[in-house]
Amino acid sequence: MSRFRVTGKGRVDHHAPVRFTFDGKSFFGLRGDTLASALLANGVHLVGRSFKYHRPRGIVTAGSEEPNALVGTSRGRGRFEPNTRATLQELRSGLVAESQNRLPSLKFDVGAINDALSPLFSAGFYYKTFMWPKGFWDKVYEPVIRAAAGLGRAPETTDPDRYASRHAHTDVLVIGAGPAGIAAALAAAKAGAKVVLAEETAEIGGALLSDPEVVIDGAKAWNWIAARAADLAESGVRVMTRTTAIGYYHQNMIGLAERLTDHLDSVPENAPRERLWRIRARHVVLAQGAIEKPLVFHGNDRPGVMLAGAAQTYLHRFGVRVGDSAAVVTSHDSAWHAAFDLQDAGTGIAVIVDTRTDVREDLVAEAERRGIRLRLGHTATGTDGRLRVSALRINPLRDGSVGNGTKVFCDCVLMCGGWTPSLHLFSHTKGTLKWDAENTAFLPDRKSEAVEIAGAGRGLWGYGAALDDGAKAGALAAEALGLSAAAPTHDVRQDRPGTGTAHEELPTDHDRGHTRAFVDFQNDVTAKDIRLAVREGMRSIEHVKRYTTTGMATDQGKLSNINGLLIASNALGKEPPKVGLTTFRPPYTPTTFGTFAGYHRGAHFEVTRKTPIDSWAAENGAVWEPVGQWRRARYFPQGSEDMDDAVARECRAVREGVGLFDASTLGKIEVTGPDAAEFMNRMYTNPWTKLAPGKLRYGVLLGEDGFIRDDGVIGRISDHRFHVTTTTGGAARVLNMMEDYLQTEWPDLDVWLTSTTEQWAVAALNGPKARTVLDGLVEGLDISNEAFPMMSVADCTVAGIPARLFRLSFTGELGYEINVPARHGRALWEALMEAGKAHGITPYGTETMHVLRAEKGFIIVGQDTDGTVTPDDAGLDWAIGKAKPDFVGKRSLARPDLVAQGRRQLVGLLTQDGKVRLDEGAQIVDDPNQPTPMKMIGHVTSSYHSATLGRSIAMAVIENGRARMGETVHVPTGKGVEAAVIASAVFYDPEGGRAKL
Amino acid sequence: MKHTDDFAPEDLPAIEVLPPAARFSLRARPAQAEVLGRALGLTLPGRVGERTGEAGREAMCLGPDEWVILAPEEDGAAIVQALADAYGEAPHALADISDREIRFRVSGKGTLDLMAMGCPRDVSAIAPGRGARTVFDGATVVLWRDGEEDVRLDVWRSFAPHVRDLLETGRAELAAGL
Repeated sequence: MSRFRVTGKGRVDHHAPVRFTFDGKSFFGLRGDTLASALLANGVHLVGRSFKYHRPRGIVTAGSEEPNALVGTSRGRGRFEPNTRATLQELRSGLVAESQNRLPSLKFDVGAINDALSPLFSAGFYYKTFMWPKGFWDKVYEPVIRAAAGLGRAPETTDPDRYASRHAHTDVLVIGAGPAGIAAALAAAKAGAKVVLAEETAEIGGALLSDPEVVIDGAKAWNWIAARAADLAESGVRVMTRTTAIGYYHQNMIGLAERLTDHLDSVPENAPRERLWRIRARHVVLAQGAIEKPLVFHGNDRPGVMLAGAAQTYLHRFGVRVGDSAAVVTSHDSAWHAAFDLQDAGTGIAVIVDTRTDVREDLVAEAERRGIRLRLGHTATGTDGRLRVSALRINPLRDGSVGNGTKVFCDCVLMCGGWTPSLHLFSHTKGTLKWDAENTAFLPDRKSEAVEIAGAGRGLWGYGAALDDGAKAGALAAEALGLSAAAPTHDVRQDRPGTGTAHEELPTDHDRGHTRAFVDFQNDVTAKDIRLAVREGMRSIEHVKRYTTTGMATDQGKLSNINGLLIASNALGKEPPKVGLTTFRPPYTPTTFGTFAGYHRGAHFEVTRKTPIDSWAAENGAVWEPVGQWRRARYFPQGSEDMDDAVARECRAVREGVGLFDASTLGKIEVTGPDAAEFMNRMYTNPWTKLAPGKLRYGVLLGEDGFIRDDGVIGRISDHRFHVTTTTGGAARVLNMMEDYLQTEWPDLDVWLTSTTEQWAVAALNGPKARTVLDGLVEGLDISNEAFPMMSVADCTVAGIPARLFRLSFTGELGYEINVPARHGRALWEALMEAGKAHGITPYGTETMHVLRAEKGFIIVGQDTDGTVTPDDAGLDWAIGKAKPDFVGKRSLARPDLVAQGRRQLVGLLTQDGKVRLDEGAQIVDDPNQPTPMKMIGHVTSSYHSATLGRSIAMAVIENGRARMGETVHVPTGKGVEAAVIASAVFYDPEGGRAKL
Repeated sequence: MKHTDDFAPEDLPAIEVLPPAARFSLRARPAQAEVLGRALGLTLPGRVGERTGEAGREAMCLGPDEWVILAPEEDGAAIVQALADAYGEAPHALADISDREIRFRVSGKGTLDLMAMGCPRDVSAIAPGRGARTVFDGATVVLWRDGEEDVRLDVWRSFAPHVRDLLETGRAELAAGL
């Protein structure tokens, strides 16, 4: 047992040693330790090198605000985490930890040269040092800075752990299970509210765990905690430990990160490592407490210098003395109690230095009774030691001047600059703060959510005050929900109320231009840097922050913000509120990506929608293409075919024989009701009144702006029922748009919409032999060309399956789309494949479909249109019902800019060299030799190799394109500039006879 | 990864895919609800989330003018006919959506926890015998709460594997006990 471990003290199990390693060396701690307390128990203070200057650094705090003790931790292969806070990481058997930012070793680090060169790295050094010579930034400075930047090494393998998410709802959520939080939770629960109490550490109790001699209502602190834990359980309060509230969002939605397994020796199978909770609370009580402030003086970052409250926590909560001889330097009463407790445990108190001359009499008397050397009205001006503090230099303060320094030998320095109410979550709500000049702290002011702030979090000090305030907050929360609540008061003995004063950098007899007095430990920012920023013209704390990086580390300035503000406001000669406080943003503490990702990783990253025919495609070697959330078969390669070969073969099959295509993803909407035709007239450009039941029509949908939004073939099933198809990607959008118009513009129409996209599986049979294949399978319908001509729809039976049969063509060939209830999709497909076998039926994918339709000049909305294309631009003027009084977008089609000459029009484009395939998106110019910037007259929208035509084809939008047939334009390619001739976009079967066979 | 069947099933929610049923989306003005209910052989519920049932047929109100109707498969044709007969008196839209959705039943201890992994609504606040159209892990679902720990989820067919995957992952998570 280490001599720093105090037998019988702490909440650790002294009979349960736990082995771990740090930088490869084996150590033992106890069950209940954090990694930090276990290291301190072994006399280890030095745990890392600082971010910028590589200065040796030790443990400063005992909580999640820790800026220094950031280490790499690992649980074996793939399970390495950088920047684990040693103060929060509970010890587990076999934990592997390593220090960061050192080379080759923690004790000898070559990067420490930065510390000697520190004048080069003053605030804003990026903006000054690397300005010259100009060309050096890209090639020298930036790469070097990037290599040196960042703390810890990033994990190199995929995180194998599981992460979870959960939603929850509660009446009252209490954040922080210190005395105020416990009292609040109980008061609310006893009033009948459903309560969740969230606590960041492993157990409830908060500061009371570090103050066991306090007596509450006759019970010693730890007994009181145990009794309240039972109360909480009995009152049905859900207590969530190891759970950090990381963000406070609108309408009382709180995000919390629960750590489930990092403290366990072994992890149960399938257990998630962390869980993100989204809790919606009707009322919230913030009882986050306060964070102790460091004092800012030369050498305040040396290992062994830590917060007095942290030393008290290590002693009482973990049974660890942080040293043998402590020098205490403070401006607040609380450190005196820490000194007394440490002395009781056997640590010598070398001195208590208080910057104040007027300290409470009882504290002074107690110190004198204990024989502790006191230095009131003194300042600290330096520390000695290399990897561990060995002495503290102190000087008397007389009439505003600093006297001669003397050294006090010690192996740890306990500092306390007062306490900062923790307002991070409150700040997330955009609640306003007010400056409390007396306590030099910001306090919560106007609230924007249903929230109470209790205890030290709103500047109250002492257990009695915190408990009563917590109970009151809990009662208020319950009353806000209409419950009747009581706020019990507490009788607290041995309480430790206190006050203090706040300082900027402590007075010193050194030249303040050369002191290394750290404000932000994690980002290595000194008081001098902040003063420099002010001298160089920064007036707002937001600018000072960005110039110096103070408060910009992952701890978000939990220790440093107020000190930095005081230094800046002092340098500016302005009140702190005039200089401002930086905004806190979620997450409150660094949170793993896994926690945010939750279940959404790997195959579950995003929904992959599959059609009823997908399984057949998978079994038959489909190459996939994502289309929105859908995955679609792009082509079906055979043997060693590449995409071009496969697509050419599939195209030929459709043109010469018969092909089969899965069109299930097309959006489908049933439009039903007495006013269905009127509704269709108003939505689509086309006229619908005269479309007879059993007939199809191609429809174009515009936005109010007159530009094409969607298109599709629409069938009239009966007088009052239309079967609308939309593009695959537009299905949800079109339905929403229709529903929006129906509900807001035309609520008088008796018509209703139902999405039937997934009700139907759709097989598209195309090619001159399509009817031959289909004929033997259809019952209840004569599908001869005479009885069932192009653009017809009818219900029938196909392969014994009830079907809705469309005769239409998106390929230019004789075509049918067979809709069957989705569960029969694969059976239908297989029946068609079987029936088509004798005719060489060929399954084809989206790529082939694209080529076939481009040969016919059929547009794809979103590819050949981009939200700025009118029906006339696309050559679809014929689809506009000009006699109709109105339709969505009609008014805009008369806008001057939409009827102006010179608009880009959709045309075909044939390269002079038929082997060259243009790039989709390539810009088009008239004269490739004009001076730059050239005038672009359009761009390529679709481009393919056409096996049917034996050459490349393209579609493009070109200014006045339709009037320029036969003219030559120029298009850049990867290899140069290609000349191309403007042509009709209908490259194949311009008379359209093949679809009507 | 263990298959979920390896865990003690009595302590975990069971996840089943329910057999197909006749299912319709019915939309009409609220004033027609009485006539249409009579044609269906039940009373159409008037408030969103309410359910009614009669002789194996069930209805849930999803919106002021929207209901989902569930019935045994063999009743499908009769429902279509009955509502077609009522159309003149009470115009409406009846769409067959029997194949649009896959239906899951999740039941047994832990069901509400499992729902909380994907559903932002407070499922415990939906009284047994009621339901809601909501989302589960990003997919729209119609949730029928049949008992304290007994729910049905109607999920659009192509979203069903995604929903099922999280249900199974969640079940394994519950089995891990953390």
